[in-house]
Amino acid sequence: MKITKLFVVALASIFLTTSCSNDYESPVQATLGAYENGLFILNEGSSGQGSVSFLSNDLNSFTQNAFTTANPGELMGKFAQSIFFNGDFAYIISNGSNKISIVNRYTMKLVSKIETGLVIPRYGVVFNGKAYVTNANTYSFANPTTGNTDDFLSVINLTTNTIEAKVQLNATADKIVVNNGKLYISEQYNNDKLLVFNTVNNVLETPINIGSDANSMEVNNGFLYVLRSPYGLPSKLVKINLATSLFTTLDFPAAQVDAKNLDIEQSKIYYTIGASVYAMNLTDNAVPSASVFSYTSTSAYGKMYGFAVKGDRVYIGDGGDFTANSKAYVYSLTGVLQKELTVGVAPNGFYFN
Amino acid sequence: MTFKKLFSLLCVVICQLILAQNDSIVSLNEVVISDLQLKKYSNSQNTLNLSDSLLSKNQPSLTSVLNHNSTIYFKENGFGMVSSPSFRGTTAQQTAVVWNGININSQLNGQTDFNTISTKNFDNIIVRAGGGSAIYGSSAIGGSIHLNNDLSFKDLFQNDLQINKGSFNTLGIHYDVKVGNKKFSSQFGFSLNSSDNDYLYVKKFDWKGNQLKNLNGEFLNTDYNVNFGYKLDNRNIIKLYSQTSVSDRNFSLITVSDTKTKYINTFNRNLLDYFGNFKSFSINFKTAYLFEDYKYFVDFDNNYFSQGSSESLIAKLDVGFSPIKSLQLNTVFDYNQTSGYGASFGSNKREISSIGLFAKHELTKKWLNEFVIRKEITNNYQSPTLFSIGSVYTFNTFYSLKINGSRNFRIPTFNDLYWQNGGNLNLKPESSYQAEIGNVFKYRKFNLSQTFYFIKIDDLIRWVPNATGLWSPVNTAKVYTYGSESILNSEYKIGKNNISFNATYAYTVSKNLENNKQLFFVPFNKLTISVGYSVKKFAFYYQFLYNGFVFTRSDNDPSEVIEAYKISNIGLDYDFKFLKSSKFGFEIRNILNQKYQSVEDRPMPGRNFNMYIILKF
Repeated sequence: MKITKLFVVALASIFLTTSCSNDYESPVQATLGAYENGLFILNEGSSGQGSVSFLSNDLNSFTQNAFTTANPGELMGKFAQSIFFNGDFAYIISNGSNKISIVNRYTMKLVSKIETGLVIPRYGVVFNGKAYVTNANTYSFANPTTGNTDDFLSVINLTTNTIEAKVQLNATADKIVVNNGKLYISEQYNNDKLLVFNTVNNVLETPINIGSDANSMEVNNGFLYVLRSPYGLPSKLVKINLATSLFTTLDFPAAQVDAKNLDIEQSKIYYTIGASVYAMNLTDNAVPSASVFSYTSTSAYGKMYGFAVKGDRVYIGDGGDFTANSKAYVYSLTGVLQKELTVGVAPNGFYFN
Repeated sequence: MTFKKLFSLLCVVICQLILAQNDSIVSLNEVVISDLQLKKYSNSQNTLNLSDSLLSKNQPSLTSVLNHNSTIYFKENGFGMVSSPSFRGTTAQQTAVVWNGININSQLNGQTDFNTISTKNFDNIIVRAGGGSAIYGSSAIGGSIHLNNDLSFKDLFQNDLQINKGSFNTLGIHYDVKVGNKKFSSQFGFSLNSSDNDYLYVKKFDWKGNQLKNLNGEFLNTDYNVNFGYKLDNRNIIKLYSQTSVSDRNFSLITVSDTKTKYINTFNRNLLDYFGNFKSFSINFKTAYLFEDYKYFVDFDNNYFSQGSSESLIAKLDVGFSPIKSLQLNTVFDYNQTSGYGASFGSNKREISSIGLFAKHELTKKWLNEFVIRKEITNNYQSPTLFSIGSVYTFNTFYSLKINGSRNFRIPTFNDLYWQNGGNLNLKPESSYQAEIGNVFKYRKFNLSQTFYFIKIDDLIRWVPNATGLWSPVNTAKVYTYGSESILNSEYKIGKNNISFNATYAYTVSKNLENNKQLFFVPFNKLTISVGYSVKKFAFYYQFLYNGFVFTRSDNDPSEVIEAYKISNIGLDYDFKFLKSSKFGFEIRNILNQKYQSVEDRPMPGRNFNMYIILKF
């Protein structure tokens, strides 16, 4: 049953990917699609479905609901979590619908869907023709016995867009990064280790004991930077040498609690606390005491719900009250507001096309 | 056959029991209801009576009945799924459901899911618009829905069997038997509704062009009622009401890959009611035991579920005094103890006592005043003094004017207070002031009531994510809701032709004072029309529902709305005149195959069919 289904999906996706690429090869056009030069803002959704907004690089062109515009009547899924790219395609993960919608990244046109085998999928990375997606699977509040040990990785063959393997992680798993064929997986609430998976021999290696509350992380030049954010306590920045798995920890001052959204751009580490943006050099031995700038937010929980730094711009998504369409802002690196946008509900991420 | 025998046997036994004491003169009414205050203290407000003949012409769920016959707006997560009302622009927790005089809104979430209530076993349902907390307690802000079982003290042995079969493998079986005489009355009812509920979504296709349909929407609801009444003598009567229902529903998926969920709700309600009538005094003592239990399967393929239940003990003493015929006074003492148990909110108990004073005075034959004041005593929250004051002036046989003002509330629920984690023990009740003016016009069999109301609601409890991302309830919003309701009933008889025409219309503005926007999921306009026509053995009906658009976002984004919809149903039946009455009927619902939904991404069924047989013997 499952094999035939997979086969049909595979066939369909092969057919569709080919037909789609034909679509934009035949007409002689300068652009690959309306969304070629810009960024996507992923809106998690609340009672309704998740959505994707698009903003052009010149900040002049904006589409509030690019996915629905390109695919009328199609539902993207509940709780849009994250996007990853591969070649001409964007993979949109909706954790509330156990689904990945695969679209052409320049047109947003749907080319395939992965609708079986995923259980609360969260984040994905691509390496060597395969995508690796974390799945939260069951939660301990519903399944106290194995809720915190049943998370798994789905290994997706990117040629066929089908799941070809499932890797049990025996822990909780959420964010994922890749470096030199190794996957590093963290989870903020129930895991105090960084999981390591070797994609070459498909083996779970010894995890790294970085401590709990890993909020966000990024690889830079052979080092993995992890921002730890124990609730109500000073945050910590962990720097791991991926060649040796040895790490150092930088403690934040007592007043700097609940930092999140680590993002490295142009040799600087950016992160947020409350409604403020902080920046430090990769080489700094202490975190800055003052923020670069702050924005105004009335949201209790939705401050800095989405955050990214790219080039000379800072992008901020504000969750608002989670019942109205939310706001996204574009600032200069020094905090000059360049654009304010009304996006979908709960913008949780920015993805640069 | 054995079934019939059993009943005749039962009847014989009962009759003998009763004959032995059948010696007193009966001075109490022939038909007795439990909800005594409903008639006595609802004069200055509008009530809409939905009779059992109307109930038999509607789909069994309380949602369907009220959606097509009242001004109440419903939000339904697909057909038969979770259904929440909005009465006069208020929230689902601000409408009280009252079963034989007892408020049965869930102690856990404060509301009633109107798709868990089958209407077939009730003799009538009364919709009481406007504030009623002083009489019915928490939640009676927008209004209250009264589910009544009448006990008839007359010689009768009456059976009523309805069977319906319709599209999507929908089956309904409803059986009701009443046995009684002048001293004794009993009723037994059974109701079953089930459906595969796998309807096709009208004009909805996936990206490959495949027709979409409702998945995982099957349900099975069963309901048992047993009611007894016994007249000790001509002044004293004892009644016992009991209802048990189980609603087992899978929840429709929005998209095919969604995790399958399911809900099982079990209710058991019991009420022992004593009524004594002694010249100018009356005593009514009620004790009730209510039980509710839910099992929510967050992942029903893996059998993961969470569970919660509550038990309530209620005692209510109502002493009536009528020194002169034009004056009625009641003092009501009320004690309510509720225990709630559940993995998500621990084990908690709360006790609420209250005292209420009720007065009704007919100053002249044309002018009636009523006044109710009630105060609750509890450790759980600060309770406001509730009241209702109203006046009716009957100018002439055509026109009367009603004025009413009231203070009402909705108390925090067990979820609001104790949910782990997030529950907030410092919540205040939602409180509201309400004023209304009603005009009632009557001409022969033509009735038109027209009401303007204004409601101010403070301290609206809302769950919002706090700084740690935990959803927690807080007293936050203030809302003004105002509007008008019009209800028209008329009946005509021309020779052998009977024509009835009923319509309701509501205009509702419900404004969140934080941003001056209309509350989402409150329509500005709602209209219902039903027309009945019968001649000889044929009866025909037509139902029409217009539901105006609603916003789905708190900022009233015009692109995020549920479109308005118009639904028409028709039905025809023929009475074979076999037994007392035996009707065979056929209905077409949503005859124009309208594509519609009341909640985003939750399409409702298109054109569908239903056949039914109603036997009375």
